[in-house]
Order: sequence, then C-alpha cells, then structure tokens
Amino acid sequence: MTQTQTRQLQRSQSDLGILMGKTARTLVLLVASIWVLAPLILMIIASFKSVPEFFMNPFGLPDEWMFSNYSRAWTDANLSLTLPNTIIVTTVAVLVSTLLSSMIAYGLSRKKKKYAMGLYTLFVSGLLVPVQAIILPLFIVLKAIGFFGTLMALIFPYIAMGLPLGVLVLTPIASALPHELIQAARMDGASEWQIFSRIVLPLMKPGLISVSILNGVWMWNEFFIPLILAFKPEVQTMPVGIVSFIGAYSTEWGLVFSSVIVSTLPVVIAYLFMTRQFQSGLTAGAVKG
Amino acid sequence: MSHPKPQSSFSSTYGHLWFVLPGFAFFLAVMLIPLILAVGISMTNWTGFGNDLQFVGLDNYTELLSYWPFYRAAMHNAIIFLAILLFQHTVGLYLAVLLNEKPRFMQFYRTVLFLPVIMSLVATGFIWTLMLSPNIGLINPLLQTLGLGFLAGNWLSDPDLALPAIIFVTAWNSMGWAIIIYLSGLQNIPEELKQAAAMDGANTRQIFWRVVFPQLSPAFTALTVLTFIGTFRTFDVVYVLTGPLGAPNFATDVVGTLIYRTAFGGSSFSSADIRFAFGLAMALMLMLVMAGFCYLLIRVLRSREIEA
Repeated sequence: MTQTQTRQLQRSQSDLGILMGKTARTLVLLVASIWVLAPLILMIIASFKSVPEFFMNPFGLPDEWMFSNYSRAWTDANLSLTLPNTIIVTTVAVLVSTLLSSMIAYGLSRKKKKYAMGLYTLFVSGLLVPVQAIILPLFIVLKAIGFFGTLMALIFPYIAMGLPLGVLVLTPIASALPHELIQAARMDGASEWQIFSRIVLPLMKPGLISVSILNGVWMWNEFFIPLILAFKPEVQTMPVGIVSFIGAYSTEWGLVFSSVIVSTLPVVIAYLFMTRQFQSGLTAGAVKG
Repeated sequence: MSHPKPQSSFSSTYGHLWFVLPGFAFFLAVMLIPLILAVGISMTNWTGFGNDLQFVGLDNYTELLSYWPFYRAAMHNAIIFLAILLFQHTVGLYLAVLLNEKPRFMQFYRTVLFLPVIMSLVATGFIWTLMLSPNIGLINPLLQTLGLGFLAGNWLSDPDLALPAIIFVTAWNSMGWAIIIYLSGLQNIPEELKQAAAMDGANTRQIFWRVVFPQLSPAFTALTVLTFIGTFRTFDVVYVLTGPLGAPNFATDVVGTLIYRTAFGGSSFSSADIRFAFGLAMALMLMLVMAGFCYLLIRVLRSREIEA
C-alpha cells in the first residue's frame, strides 16, 4: 500500500471505523473457519466413542476412548482390503494417465495441423461425457478383455478418464516449450523418445504435478464407478467399501467415522504438506476449462 | 555410427501421432466405444437382463420428454445450481476479498477454507448426516442457542428441509473453489489500477465495483461453468444423505439418482422397474443438454468479458 492510498483511506474513514471494520472481517473469517472445522472435529471425537455413549453424550469428549473402533474398521469394515486397493488403483492410474496425457500433449503441440486441433477437442470433450452413460457398456468391454473382478476394472477406466483433464492442462504447456531446444537435440541425433523423456518431460514438471493432483484427488474419492464396477471388498476402493458395509452396521457411528477418517487422512496429510500445489493444481483445470 | 535419419514427409506430418496413439487406445476403449454402444442401446427396449431386446428407434427419447420424474429431478438440479451459484458469487467472493487484504493468519484461513474440496463427497455426506441428525447432531442445539430454535427440524426427513440440507452440504464442500478461484483473480489485478482510481477520488466501494469486479470476469466464468457441471452431476451427496431414492418422497431426487435407479436398480427398488435402455437415454439426454448449456454459458459469459 502506498502513502497516498493510506492517507486517502484515513480521510474517508475514522480510525474507530477502521478498527471495527477489521474486527468484523476477522470475525467473518473465523466463523467461516469454524463452520469448516467444527464438523471435522466432531467427527474425530465421534470416531472414538462407543455406541451407547454416542447417544447419551453426543457432544462431549468420550469417557472411554474406543481405539478399538479403528482396529475393527480395519477388519470389519474391510479397510485392510480397501485401503491397499485405493493406494494401488490411485497410484498406478495417476502415473500412467499423467504419462499418457503428457505424450498426447507433446504429440499434438508439435504440429499446427488441423488434425491436432480436432484430436485435442475430442479428448477434452471427454469431460462432458456423463459416466452413467458409458458405465454399463464399459462393463461389457471390461468383461470382454477379462479385467472384470480385478483391480484393473478400475485402473483401466481411470487412466482413460484422467486424459481429458491432463490434455486440457498440458497441451498449452507443451506448446509453449522452446522449439530451438528440441530442434537442437534432434540435430545432435537424439531419437524422438529421448527428446520427449529427457527434455520435454522435465520441462513440463509443474504441469505434471498439477495433473497428478487433479486426477489423484478424484480417483481416490471416486464413488460411482466402483459402486457399479467393483462388487466385492477385494476389488473395492474405500468410499464404496465404507458405504456398502454400513448397511449391516447402521448404528455403529464410531465405526463409520473411524473408517471415514482413515479414508480421508492420507489426502489431508498430502494437502497439508503441499497446500500451494493442491490449490493451484486443482484450480488450473477449472480456470482453463 | 548413426546419422540422424532424414525425415520422410510422412513422418514429419504424422510422426508425432505415435505419442498420441497409446492414450488414444485407452480413450477409445473406455470412452468412445462405450459411448457409441450406449447410443445404440438407448434405441432399444433392453432392460439390462437377458437377450430380449428390440429396436425401438427414438421411442425412449420421446417418452422421456413427457416423463415427469425426469423434470422433477432436473428441477432439483437447477435449484441446487442456482443456490450454489448465488452462494459462490456472494459468500465465496466476499471471503476471497477478505483474504486478499492479507489478514494475519491468512495462510491458516486459506488452508482451512479449501480443505473440504479435497475431501470425498462420501465423507462429507457422513459428516453432515451426523451434524444434521435431530438426536445427536450439532446443528439443532446450535440453532437453539442462537435463538433460532424455530429453524431447527428433522433436516433429512422433512420434505421441505431435505433439499435445503443438500444445498447446505454442497455449499460446505464447494466453497473452497470459489475462494481460491476468486483469490487468484484478485491477485492478478495490477495494484496501479486501484491506485489510479483512488487518486481520481473513488471510494473503496466504487473501486471494487467499477475497477476490481470487471477484472474478475474470467474467474466468474470459470466458477459458473464449474458450478454448473458439478451441480448437474450431483449424486454422491444425495446417495449418502438421503439415499438413492432421493428421500423423503423424492424431495431430493436428482437426475443422477434417477438415472442410477432406472438403469441399475439400486437398493429398495424392484428389478421389474429397471429399464437400462431408458436410463441410458436419460444419461445421453443429460449430456446433450449439459453440452449445449455449457456452450451457451461460455459464449454469453465470454462476450460479457470482452465488453467489460
């Protein structure tokens, strides 16, 4: 803020007004933060309560901390199966999908031909395809390839469904890469693949991180696709695993919330470590669209 | 010794297609082929079981045009969309403006307010099932303490309150988008622009509405389109909070849950009512309407950006 601006502000408002305005603003931010945090804190406390205590003492701290809710979530709610599944599915799908979209982006960006624009539009319009329309035909395709009933039944579609966002974010980045650098490498006798893996990929690193976060978050949290395609705990990811075991344990809120916390915690920890990358990465896709 | 191969005209024109091919194969198998299959099946009367099917042309689509549960569900989506839109462009924008003034603990507020965005809608749904519960939830006692006891109610089982509850939970989950998108828009506005307006004697309010707000048009467009796509895809929140039937009495039924029940059955729905082909027609209709709407939305909003 410059001197003139500050002076102007002081002229138009009294000191008291500024102070009150400031307090009011802090209050608004505090209320918004509490609105976000209070349910989360209540959930954490709830995850340590026994069933009777849940109804007798819904808001206070538990008299007895039921750590067993977590060990039972691990076995009864099948987290021992669905947590590793979620990690495998998300990791493999994110890595392959990001690599493939960076290849597409590079391939499309090198040519200013009509087909490049057409392909780009085709990939990006994949964002509009409702998953309900393609999921049962997809089921037929997966059965035909023999992926049904394995983790590939989720990994395979996730890879393809990650491409539209990847292409959307990465193509402009690939187009902006310095042409001379690639030409120079070609002169030196580098193969096209070497140019891509040694020069293009490292230069696109910030974009690759954005795309990985963008796709990783939805793949980790996805509910509808595994609801239809993964019918047993052995191949389910956590969100659908939790929903499907609840039918049998509907009043065991402690168990429900300990599973929800286990399913949420890894993403939250990653987010807290890389807040900036998550925020810019997630909005990168939104703003470009 | 290997020399760089002289490139043939074919490889210089199409050579880089090798980079596109592997991704395209996935895209073809998962998106394009199923989509074509879906269009084909939507023109039959297949229920999803057995081999009993006949080509019925566009019958499913014409039936859909007079199928009132579809309109009811679409209306609920539209209500959610408008309510969230209003929320994002007022509360979301205001919070972004507050954060842009760089208050103390800004990093903390930013981190906290964006947090729900990374959480799954399933987790969000369970958290709010607890919060809104009339027996063990926090919301009703809180309203009573604030002297707003008349607002307390059976949020998820009262037909008048259930849809507002869904909107409330969606707002909680998506507020972070508005804040971050508007905040990055605000941070891109050159300080000189505001200073120049201040020199000319504009007050804070005038500076915001005449100088700052027009500059936020791209953020407004992005957020509106994002909200549109997100709210018309609503499924998880309704599934967890009020179930696949859009309880109570379909008061929270959205197009997503309607398609799910029609095409796949879903719990407490008799298999005799499953009409897979009709469900597909619904999903494809939704896709067409959404694509058309997005196109219009972007057209209108972008032209406004240029004028501003």
